Amino acid sequence: MRVKSVFCAVLLLAFGSSVALGAGPMTGKSVKVGVIADVTGSAGAYGNSQKNAYELAGDDLKAGLIDAAGASLTFDVQDSASDPNQVVNLVQKFTTDGSALMIGPTLSSEAKKADPIAVGKNLTILATSNTAQGITTMGSCVFRDSLSEEQVVPQMLVKMEKAWKVKTAAIIYGDDDQFTKTDFDIFSASLKADNIDVVDIKTFHKGDVDFKAQLTAIGEKKPDLLVIGALIEEGVKIATQAKQLGFKGHFAGGNGLNSPKFIDLAGPAGDGVIVGAAYYLGDTRGGNKTFVERYTKKFGKAPDQFAAQAYAAAQVVAAAIKGGATNSGQFCSFFGNMKPLMTVLGPVSFMSSRDVRADSAILEVSKGAFVPFK
Amino acid sequence: MLVQQLANGVFLGAVYALFAIGYTLIFGVLDILNLAHAAIFMLAAFVALSLAGLGVPLVLAFALALVVAGLLGVLLDRVAFAPLRRRNAGTLVPLISSIGAAIIMQGVARGIWGPDEQRFPANALSTAEIHIGSLTVGALDVVILAIALVLMGVLSYVLRSTALGRSIRAVAADRVAAALLGVDIERTIALTFFIASALGGAAGILIGLQYNSVSLDMGARIELKGLAIIILGGMGSVTGAVIGAFLLGAVETLSVAYISSSYRDAIAFGVMFLILVLRPTGLFGKRALRAA
Repeated sequence: MRVKSVFCAVLLLAFGSSVALGAGPMTGKSVKVGVIADVTGSAGAYGNSQKNAYELAGDDLKAGLIDAAGASLTFDVQDSASDPNQVVNLVQKFTTDGSALMIGPTLSSEAKKADPIAVGKNLTILATSNTAQGITTMGSCVFRDSLSEEQVVPQMLVKMEKAWKVKTAAIIYGDDDQFTKTDFDIFSASLKADNIDVVDIKTFHKGDVDFKAQLTAIGEKKPDLLVIGALIEEGVKIATQAKQLGFKGHFAGGNGLNSPKFIDLAGPAGDGVIVGAAYYLGDTRGGNKTFVERYTKKFGKAPDQFAAQAYAAAQVVAAAIKGGATNSGQFCSFFGNMKPLMTVLGPVSFMSSRDVRADSAILEVSKGAFVPFK
Repeated sequence: MLVQQLANGVFLGAVYALFAIGYTLIFGVLDILNLAHAAIFMLAAFVALSLAGLGVPLVLAFALALVVAGLLGVLLDRVAFAPLRRRNAGTLVPLISSIGAAIIMQGVARGIWGPDEQRFPANALSTAEIHIGSLTVGALDVVILAIALVLMGVLSYVLRSTALGRSIRAVAADRVAAALLGVDIERTIALTFFIASALGGAAGILIGLQYNSVSLDMGARIELKGLAIIILGGMGSVTGAVIGAFLLGAVETLSVAYISSSYRDAIAFGVMFLILVLRPTGLFGKRALRAA
């Protein structure tokens, strides 16, 4: 425990960024936001992007690229180390240390444990990466700026139907992984709602490399669309082997395929795969161009969706302070009534369910890059 | 569609067979299960991948990686099995020793190549397809099948018609009698390990090429299937392992196509269980290697 405390203190010193700006209506006010992120551990790839985003947001507050009306805004980023117990400890800390808002935790499963504690202490929560169902229903001041797949997939299918007159579809998904299973549930519900006939459903297991038997059976039914509910490694092989077997239909992938790594690994076989996402790197709205440039310069790699959603949260928090919010109750009511705010994710506001209202990015892999699907 | 699915099953079975014959060869000769076979399978694939990455032509990279795999097998025997053999340690102790060796090899591979899945350099592999009627097969798959069949043919010839093959079969039949008749036991065992590991390595490289994917856990994925195949074929029987491998490939493919993809492994292992109930010694009985 002592080691953990020391570790947290070091992290606080390293990542906490206190910023006092020049003159503004909120000059002299200070707001501390507690951020819980899995900077290390199994979800470290996501939490690290989030930590980077708040670090950059600290710089950008100083540089005047994010405007908090002169208030001193601190993001106290604490590493929950992908450990649910650590998450609980940190929420308890944030409910007693004067934090006006809690951002995080990284994973939905962690949020299910952490959020009820914060709700019990009337601490407003802004989630940036919890896409599972039942997050914002945990309390009347639990918000999220991350689009869920339930919101993205229907928009994606509408666009595909329009472009290609899709009438039939087949689904292949991993049936031993919660994430890919969710892909299946959401796609099959959306396809049904759109009256697209699902002609075949096949499954595979994590770690499989040969999908030819499934794909041969699917190919026989000649669906217009093949939905791939897979993580990157399997998704790459499915797309490659389907093309090898002469599959002529279109491909749609879930959130699992929305990563530059998919393009790297799939090469030409990835071309034409459509994915639905919450963020598009090439977006030029809401300061995204500057965000991408500054992030890339500072961290040596382009921001991913997790970094963008975290940075958008910083933009939303700054806007709330500009609107006069300095404590938990004021943040809650500001978010609830927020007019669409331009962020790196595009215009963002919250619905009455406290879920985000934002554009989804429907992207197509084309010549080795994600481009908007038209 | 049946023809296409059978073709899918044959390509799958060919690589299973290459993996399984190395496994069964060592069992036939030494009566031990070498659970490090899968680690050598994985290491050979990484070695070939690294060589190809350095610009070595694929054919040469394949050949060099086979030699490396063979030598690793000999080293494995020297370190993990030979000291135990000298002390008559039975069969369980070498089994554990081979697990230890496998874990060490995994660790070394993780240190050298990292935990992520890797792929052969772009354009190193042919993506050409061959169409015969409604059948579509990759040219690469055909080459891989041909290599697998040639290697199995060579092994069969070596075991049947060469002095080395006779020594291997003699040691398999009775080590003491073979020694009395002047067979150099340790040399024969070392060569058996070389051949078995080179074949396992070949399977690793071919499967890596076939799916363009080389990863640390690729051995673990095939290990259990390999074990099931050699039990089905009859422990120690090379012919049995080959037939068992093609049978498993076909059952897996057909169960996905016609029954349920979710129950693929359950069906494949269910069929094996049924066969073993009917023929407890496997398709080709125990110790058929001696008569190979």
